[in-house]
Amino acid sequence: MPTPPRQTPGASPAIEASARLKQIMADHFAAVGQAARERTAPVAWCTSVGPVELLRALGYQVFFPENHGAMLGASRMANETMAAAHALGYSPDICSYLTSDIGSYLLQKTPLARHGMSRAPRADLLLYSTNQCREVRDWFEFYGREWKVPVVGVTSFRDLDEVQPHHVDAIARQLEALVPALEAVAGRRLEASRLEEAVALSRTCSDLWRDCLHTAAARPAALTFFDGTIHMGPAVVLRGTAEACDYYRLLLAELQARVAAGVGAIPRERFRLYWEGMPVWGRLRDLARLFEQLQAGVVASTYCNSWVFDALDPRHPLPSMARASLEIFIARSEGPKQRYLERMVAEFQVDGVLFHDALTCPNNSNTRFGLPQRLRQALGVPVLTLDGDLNDLRCFSDEQARTNIEGFVEQLEGSVPQRPASVRA
Amino acid sequence: MVVAGADIGTECVKAIVAGQGGKILGRGAVPTRGYFQDCYREAMGNALAEAQVQAGDLKAVCVTGFGASCAPSGSQTVTETICQARGAFHHLGKAMTLVDIGGRDPKIVRVDGRGGVVASRSARKCAVGIGTFLMFTSRHLDVHPTRLMDLATSAGAPAAVGSYCSVFAEAEVIELLRRGVPAGEIALGAMYSVADRIMEMDRLAAPVAVAGGVCEYFPGVVRALAERSGCAVEVVPEPIMTGALGAALSALESAPG
Repeated sequence: MPTPPRQTPGASPAIEASARLKQIMADHFAAVGQAARERTAPVAWCTSVGPVELLRALGYQVFFPENHGAMLGASRMANETMAAAHALGYSPDICSYLTSDIGSYLLQKTPLARHGMSRAPRADLLLYSTNQCREVRDWFEFYGREWKVPVVGVTSFRDLDEVQPHHVDAIARQLEALVPALEAVAGRRLEASRLEEAVALSRTCSDLWRDCLHTAAARPAALTFFDGTIHMGPAVVLRGTAEACDYYRLLLAELQARVAAGVGAIPRERFRLYWEGMPVWGRLRDLARLFEQLQAGVVASTYCNSWVFDALDPRHPLPSMARASLEIFIARSEGPKQRYLERMVAEFQVDGVLFHDALTCPNNSNTRFGLPQRLRQALGVPVLTLDGDLNDLRCFSDEQARTNIEGFVEQLEGSVPQRPASVRA
Repeated sequence: MVVAGADIGTECVKAIVAGQGGKILGRGAVPTRGYFQDCYREAMGNALAEAQVQAGDLKAVCVTGFGASCAPSGSQTVTETICQARGAFHHLGKAMTLVDIGGRDPKIVRVDGRGGVVASRSARKCAVGIGTFLMFTSRHLDVHPTRLMDLATSAGAPAAVGSYCSVFAEAEVIELLRRGVPAGEIALGAMYSVADRIMEMDRLAAPVAVAGGVCEYFPGVVRALAERSGCAVEVVPEPIMTGALGAALSALESAPG
């Protein structure tokens, strides 16, 4: 029987499931690398919130370049690789995942080297959905030209108020129209039962991941946004597989045990914050440490919840995939976004909201049309905008960020009623 | 026949008096301060004095550079890209990728086997001021700009200076000083930062040559560029004068008779 978790004063407890996480992520990269190298299975690239279930059902090994982009950012290799893409004509103002990844391909420098790969695996087909941004298509078309392989995808709706049946029908028809191209490369027919199974596994993964994230609604929160950015890996790259579900069962059990024992992700949680926008991958650890020092838990985020797809339904695979792809936060207009944030602030008992304005990712930066101000007005919750970027650290000032964050927490000290720190020694 | 060319830059104004075949007879270079017109007069006066000719003897005058519009009436204006290419080709006589790194915006110019410009690319607006950034860095490190290279030579490794905006990069330098990073590492880091900005502009195809005042005073930038690009980098002789020489060569072409 596992030892019940205990809070060590002054120290953040480690998540024990991390060892398993490392293993299944390594297995994933090994499998997709082997498929590309030895031609044991067709290899597809898929956008992170794209229709991966179709690929799973057809037996593809799937690689997610946004995950690779995040790895390049977190390892800070992006600082070196982006320049090669800039020199090729991809502007420093566009998605730095894109420029990091294309530069990585050009320079053959990648954090995947520790998984035995000199560059990201070559695809037989690239499948995108523009539900998150247009850049993904341009990104994939670079590789389509390089490798002379098909680039197919869904041209989605953006800035939706409410997701209407005609929106869903249009996307479902596009998904259906993709099938012959996907079958041709896979060399097999799509079986309904396999698609239903993939959608069922995606839905289970989504539910379990949401439950994991929800353990941060407890006081003290059982995990932080910074933990979430690491542990969301399987929800991104293994969605639609049993391995992802197994992992989240393991993680959920551990987090629920923390909640039951009153163990928090940070030692003394005085304030609870929400992170809106992309992570600053190259400063993840520094920011986590800073918030911990300030005894401010970043307990919830839009970003980690982006891989929660409540609409998925194995009884109606394509329509539910279509609806799920349209309901995501990034594809919605300002009204639904504000209502979503209001719900999250209430659900996670948030004291303040941090908005990250990522210079090269306008689609994930919700600071530019007055949303922070409207949220503050509606809820009376303090908000702070941090200028930065997901990967391009030239857009991020450590000093400015620290000063702003420290000032924000000081502001909370004056406005939030102080609670006794939730610690059990 | 005697002509003159001038390059009226943001950090320095350079003038050359040249004779047949582009033979350099006199040169002048003064720091840019106050009005461009005054600096031009001083630099051109020095070049004429060295060449021992009078202004009235000049058959043609061409000017280039940021302040070209401030040259006296009667002189012709030629773009910096063409002047840099002509000046470099005059010395090296071959097709090349020419990197011009001056005070304001660096350029990558593809020069063909006849000295013509095939293509060129400048830094984007928020990355201009590269040479000026090195001057600012000298000020923060409390050394004369001509001593910045000596300081950089003392460093084993460059400090990381990553911003593409000169103003942000200057803020980074101040932050590094606050953290107690050795001044030599900061100086070298500033030079690597310049090389990194160049690398982002375009792909460098060999053979690569460099010109401009930055290469004259801060050879660390050339070394960093060679390291980052993996190419051998040749420095055009008298790199700060390349644009003025190209202007003088343009003047020779256009001179009557």
